[in-house]
Amino acid sequence: MKITNGSITAFGSSPAPLAFFPTARSVAAETFRDSVKNRFFTVFAVFAACAIYASLLAGVMAVDEEARVLSDLGLGLMELMTLAYALFHAAMAIPREMETKTIYLIFSRPVSRPAYLSGKAAGLYLLSAFMLAVMAVIHLSMLSLRGFPPGAAYAAIMACIWLKMVIITSLALFISLFSTSPVSTMVIAGIIWTLGHFTPEARFLIEKSAGISAVFLKSAAWLIPDLQLYNLRDAPSAAVPGGAWFRVFYAALWALSAYGASVLLFRKKEF
Amino acid sequence: MIYASAAAVLTALLFFSSRVCPPSPFPPPSALREVRRSAIEDMLALSLGARRLFADLWFIRLMQYYGTQELYGGEEEEEDGHCHHGHDFGSGKYPEFLALSRHIAALDPYFKNAVLYSAGSLAFNLSRPDEAAGLLNYALANTPSDWKFLMMLAAIGYSKSSEPAKVAQTIAPLVRERDCPVMLKQLAAFLNKKIGNYQAAAEIYADILKTSKDPFYTRNAEKELKKIKDSRR
Repeated sequence: MKITNGSITAFGSSPAPLAFFPTARSVAAETFRDSVKNRFFTVFAVFAACAIYASLLAGVMAVDEEARVLSDLGLGLMELMTLAYALFHAAMAIPREMETKTIYLIFSRPVSRPAYLSGKAAGLYLLSAFMLAVMAVIHLSMLSLRGFPPGAAYAAIMACIWLKMVIITSLALFISLFSTSPVSTMVIAGIIWTLGHFTPEARFLIEKSAGISAVFLKSAAWLIPDLQLYNLRDAPSAAVPGGAWFRVFYAALWALSAYGASVLLFRKKEF
Repeated sequence: MIYASAAAVLTALLFFSSRVCPPSPFPPPSALREVRRSAIEDMLALSLGARRLFADLWFIRLMQYYGTQELYGGEEEEEDGHCHHGHDFGSGKYPEFLALSRHIAALDPYFKNAVLYSAGSLAFNLSRPDEAAGLLNYALANTPSDWKFLMMLAAIGYSKSSEPAKVAQTIAPLVRERDCPVMLKQLAAFLNKKIGNYQAAAEIYADILKTSKDPFYTRNAEKELKKIKDSRR
């Protein structure tokens, strides 16, 4: 990683720590650029190919439910592809820089660790947003070519998918700081992802349990983010107390918690 | 000190927000019964948050199953799948039909077209009105007071008392809906024809021709329209 623009080079020789936001912005931009360089367009090509193939297949098999099937399949594919790509980069972002010793170059300058971490996280959020936006354009074009308008909740669904990505990439970034390999980071994040979709059901079952196990399960349950809250793909009309703001607040809370834990863990590492 | 207080605030907020999160809008996982070795698929549907997508997949399977002709000793398969037209249209045994329909309703109880299609086929084509009512009541548990389901229940009630005119009248508002399953339109047209309301039947067949992409229904609608026009001359 090279940081050549922004305030890092401008204040590179200064012993004082750089301003938080300009540093974070430079790290974010570099993280985003680095991720985009890496097989980025292959992902879109695979998505477009799958979407076109599915549209041909759905036209024949789903008959009068073609619009619904095409919409669901496209949104599902988008979410899974963004998840895979974002998790891969979240798991690799810091360990790779440690392995290649690039991180020593960065911290030899007065770059604060919280700014570095927030930049990494912001770069990954930007990556997810960009991927979703490009795939949404492909998906919407395909739907309009087939003569189907997107559902009324399309924009809300996309926003919720992105909020899910914000939560999971924040957690993956945190896990990558203590996990033994990027693969184990991705596996742990994947488990959290699946558990996150079970959270309402888990809470329902916990309510029915009693004794010490209930206390243990209750405290464990709120350590898993409720990703079903963002699953508008499955239930576009699902109501949440507080509406969209609660969803944003909840995602921000998880991202901040993961960030706070990462800062605590990262400040003890020696570079 | 700052870190500790920040951690305490975040923990308290996380705890509070997890208590505010709403319950799942779906039936519990125990409502899913395995059909055709679906356990792994069901697990994926729940864990990936893809109930809707998997419900689509099962609906396609249901249509393929129902669209495949049941052969009894000595019968030969017809080109179009269902071999029966008119009074016994779509009839047969199709023993897995209810299990597949319930599976779709358990995965995605908001998939109204699938529930209406299944209930209509069970009640009017397969002569299993009790199973159809059971399916509708199951779907109504998740979407109480859904007028389409209630209307279908009423139509099933009339069909049990052999009142085709009342059934046709009850399902008429459903048929006017843009996304009404084509099978229900077909049924409405057939009932109208049966009670001598050829004008209404012709309108519904014309609508099927305009809106459906299913070649089986469009071909049948074309044929029926031609018959009605010829009978009027």
